[in-house]
Amino acid sequence: MISDRVKSSLKREFYQSRAAQVGVVLIAIILFTAVFAPMLTPHDPTTQRVGTGNGSALTDLPPLSPIPGHEFVGTRDQTMVNQTTGEFVNVQQEVPANASHPLGTNERGQDILSRIIYGARVSMLVGLLGTALATLLGVPYGLVAGYFGGRLDDTLMRAADVMLAFPSLVLAIALIGVFRDTSFHTAELPDPFVAAAQGDLVPNILIPRAEHVASMPETTTFPVTVTLVVALVNWVWFARITRGEALSIRAEEYVTAARSLGASDVTILRQHILPNAITPIIVLATIQVAFIILLEASLSFLGFSGTNLTWGADIQQGRDGLSSGKWWVSTMPGLAIIAAVVGVNLLGDWLRDALDPGIQGESGGI
Amino acid sequence: MQYGRFLLRRVFHSLFVIWGAATVVFLLRFITPGDPVTALAPPDAGDEVRAALERRLGLDDPIHVQYFEYITDLMVGDFGNSMEVLDRSVLDWIFWTRFLRSLELAISATILAIVIAIPLGVVSARRRHTPADYSATLFSLGGISTPNFWLGLMLILLIAVPVGFIPTGTPGPLLHEAVGDLFAGDPGTLGDWLRFMFLPALTLGTYFTALITRLTRSGMLEEIGKAYVKACRAKGLPETLTMYRHVLRNTLIPIVTILGLQLGTLIGGAIITETVFEWNGLGQLLIERINARDWTMIQGIVIIIAIGFVTINTVVDLLYAYLDPRVMEE
Amino acid sequence: MGEPILRVEDLTTRFFTEEGQINAVEGVSFDVEPGEVFGIVGESGSGKSVTALSLVDLVESPGRITNGSVWFREPALAARIREDDPDTAAADGEMVDLRRLDDNERRALRGTEFAMIFQDPMSSFNPSITVGTQIAEAVEVQRRATANPRAVRSRTQGFGLLKFLTTSMVPTVDYVSEESRDRAVELLDTVGIPDPASRATEYPHQFSGGMLQRAMIAQALATEPSVLVADEPTTALDVTIQAQILNTLGDLQAEYGMTTVLITHNLGVIARMCDRVGVMYAGEFVERGSLEDLFERPSHPYTEGLLGSSPALDNGDRRLQPIAGNVPSLLDEEMPDRCYFADRCPKAMSECLDKPPEFDADGSEGHRARCYLARDAYDPGDALPEGYFDES
Ligand SMILES: Nc1ncnc2c1ncn2[C@@H]1O[C@H](COP(=O)(O)OP(=O)(O)O)[C@@H](O)[C@H]1O
Ligand code: SF4
Ligand SMILES: [Mg+2]
Repeated sequence: MISDRVKSSLKREFYQSRAAQVGVVLIAIILFTAVFAPMLTPHDPTTQRVGTGNGSALTDLPPLSPIPGHEFVGTRDQTMVNQTTGEFVNVQQEVPANASHPLGTNERGQDILSRIIYGARVSMLVGLLGTALATLLGVPYGLVAGYFGGRLDDTLMRAADVMLAFPSLVLAIALIGVFRDTSFHTAELPDPFVAAAQGDLVPNILIPRAEHVASMPETTTFPVTVTLVVALVNWVWFARITRGEALSIRAEEYVTAARSLGASDVTILRQHILPNAITPIIVLATIQVAFIILLEASLSFLGFSGTNLTWGADIQQGRDGLSSGKWWVSTMPGLAIIAAVVGVNLLGDWLRDALDPGIQGESGGI
Repeated sequence: MQYGRFLLRRVFHSLFVIWGAATVVFLLRFITPGDPVTALAPPDAGDEVRAALERRLGLDDPIHVQYFEYITDLMVGDFGNSMEVLDRSVLDWIFWTRFLRSLELAISATILAIVIAIPLGVVSARRRHTPADYSATLFSLGGISTPNFWLGLMLILLIAVPVGFIPTGTPGPLLHEAVGDLFAGDPGTLGDWLRFMFLPALTLGTYFTALITRLTRSGMLEEIGKAYVKACRAKGLPETLTMYRHVLRNTLIPIVTILGLQLGTLIGGAIITETVFEWNGLGQLLIERINARDWTMIQGIVIIIAIGFVTINTVVDLLYAYLDPRVMEE
Repeated sequence: MGEPILRVEDLTTRFFTEEGQINAVEGVSFDVEPGEVFGIVGESGSGKSVTALSLVDLVESPGRITNGSVWFREPALAARIREDDPDTAAADGEMVDLRRLDDNERRALRGTEFAMIFQDPMSSFNPSITVGTQIAEAVEVQRRATANPRAVRSRTQGFGLLKFLTTSMVPTVDYVSEESRDRAVELLDTVGIPDPASRATEYPHQFSGGMLQRAMIAQALATEPSVLVADEPTTALDVTIQAQILNTLGDLQAEYGMTTVLITHNLGVIARMCDRVGVMYAGEFVERGSLEDLFERPSHPYTEGLLGSSPALDNGDRRLQPIAGNVPSLLDEEMPDRCYFADRCPKAMSECLDKPPEFDADGSEGHRARCYLARDAYDPGDALPEGYFDES
């Protein structure tokens, strides 16, 4: 569906634009972190360490702080090669106290870095799945409206305009009010890496830090409602853009020609309209991922997400500590959100500059 | 003449949209699992009590009757009573203090954004590839990528806490009170208003500042390349006049529509900002009522917001058509 | 020959693009006398528009005038410059060199000294401002400039963001005065627009192409320029409208005695309007001279080619004859070190592999051609073999 001209223009823009490169690197890092979270965390993100050690709590540790008079130092599993036998062995390495929680801990003694790493999973999952769902809803809707035009178009687009009468966040909150008492509010997704490390299907040697991975949470809580809601709130933008494209493409000569040759509407939609409308849809989808990440963060900040292992919920959690000098608990997850959204926005700018779909600003928001 | 027709069409369209929105809001309650009567009635309530409650809430009629009553009530401005505090009228709870507080916040943020962003965008476009341009670009990228609840917390952390005199957490005076006191010879209330408004408006306005800066910059750059700019220069028009009277003006015309479309972001942002600063407005009320599962209140707030949103969008469209008469041709 | 009002010497304008350096205008020289119509003709892409923009100092980045000078007769300014700096190179007699003036003075000459009419009237008007206001702006700028010639700033009146906001929000405050608006309506009347008062309040998209081109002429007249540069003023219009616009231009030219540089690729237009002509090819003037010189005694094979087999002055609308071969690239690295026309020239000789200078040609004084045939008669024996340029 993507022509050579588009590819070469993407490539040229990528080599010329430092911003595009930064965006790709940022997103690659965050996706990598999200996927391999159990292997990358220093600690279990959910373990609370209240009152561990010499009676004094490990809560509210500032980033990089040494723990004076404290016996606890973190431990780290390290796979090493035994120099004499050539075997792989797992050794426990002691970690100096100040590196044990590089970004500090929150008031429950949970490691902030580990929580940020796990938070990337929810953010990215909701961002990508939510956008995919919104695309699946909006694109066919817009295609039908734009292609058939007339009465049908009027009716469909008026209905879509009704959706636009609500600010996204307001509609999202109201919808969450509807859905949060259902049984599918959240779902527990099993973590394949943890399962593999715990079972013996895969030799542990293939999994980095296998013992550590085995001790990580077995499931990730996935906010189903939030994903549905962000899609329900944002599909209209896809419908609008697609409709506009379909409307102009259906007047092109090659479409008329195809129709006169007896091609069915479905064929024309699939073979002519959709491929030619794809560029602005892709650009919009990229921009939407950024919006949805922000929307998810806002909803979980407000406590509507159903899971507290997300960036937004962690920011909410650190809020009370701000006035008593515990600045890091809220600050750190916020920086992660910014990194993710900046990354996606840079990708979006790159696509927009390279593909020039002319949709500036028509892209929704929180 | 032509403008009159356009105006009528737009107004009809927005009335239709508001009706649609009201219908959606009505339906929301019906797809909600759980029964408000069970939630409200005491656990040991007998059937009689439950039936009375049901009647009181108007839930004993068939759905189409309820819908008809709901819409006709709305048309005469009757939003019903709260479901939790049964004798409190929805409208009374929303208006005026709550409503005004949110409105003041949104308008202050918008003004702040426009005042900062347009000069920034102009400078950025005219001094392309200078440090000023790079800083503005970086700022606008950061601004559109920063969640505003986090920004609000950071401003509290970095400004409110160290400086001390900027309050958070308690509602300040309303503007009309402040202005009233000013005329009565007491400027202190206005000072309070400014102190209370500053951080929330900055928090809410940052996204818009960034967005408008970005749009102004790219719009100006696109506009500067057009042939009429050369024609302006050819007829001897000084550069500042060319830039402001022609280029900036034409850049702002599409920005006005984009801002209309993005107004939803502002309202959403206001809800979050209100939560962060414990700003006693519509947004905070909405969150609170959602948590209380008070559906008549939720419906009322959502409809009021939708009406405001649609009205402003319509005004923006009419303004746009006035500034650029070509849009009426479509 | 009298005193020229415009003297272009060795004008060279280049674009420095990512693809490379483009030699859009290379060593162009010509004089224009007061009241005269000087025509520039050539295929599309030969550098005519860039020449025009160079004359009115509107070449923009990535382009730059890299060499040469553009002298305008402007006695008052020349005297003033010499007063400030007796050894100045920017003034010569009554002439000032556009390229050596400082920015403010140069900008002050726009509109007063020269005005320009562009090819596409639709895109040359701001779509969101009424035509009347746009013309009135030109009048206003001039009015302010004449009122206070030395202070360039007075024309702006500190027009910045603040002023922009006040003028757009307060309806009674405007940069453009009522008198200027009235004058704009008069000008619309002058160029033959019916019902000018109400048309002045319309937007460009409500005008037809021909009417809008008239409005552009009115806008150019607003400043009462001494030199009018018209870049293909009729190309974008229907054939019937073209004739009307040319009539209007001709009448105004006769009435005001306005010196005009008229750019076109239509020989009929040249024949009808011009006193002297320059023929452009690949950024250079390959031949220049009086109308008779070019039409009766063309010395350059390119001019001959343009005229076709039977040059006729009275032929109303004759487009350029297509000449076999490609329009040459102006990219510096692709430009050969020979006569640029040699690969298309039916009379190319081995001598032509050296780049020819300008030679005096038969006819009036000032008839020049950049071709060896202007000096020597054609000798078929020297001709390059057929297909000589094909391989390379
Ligand atoms: N803004 C520009 N940037 C780069 N090259 C330009 C620009 N304007 C003109 N040129 C180049 O200058 C050459 C002459 O163009 P032009 O003067 O417009 O030709 P004409 O008016 O005779 O058709 C063209 O080859 C074109 O590539
Ligand atoms: S110089 Fe030679 S090639 Fe060039 S035009 Fe004259 S005869 Fe032809
Ligand atoms: Mg041209």
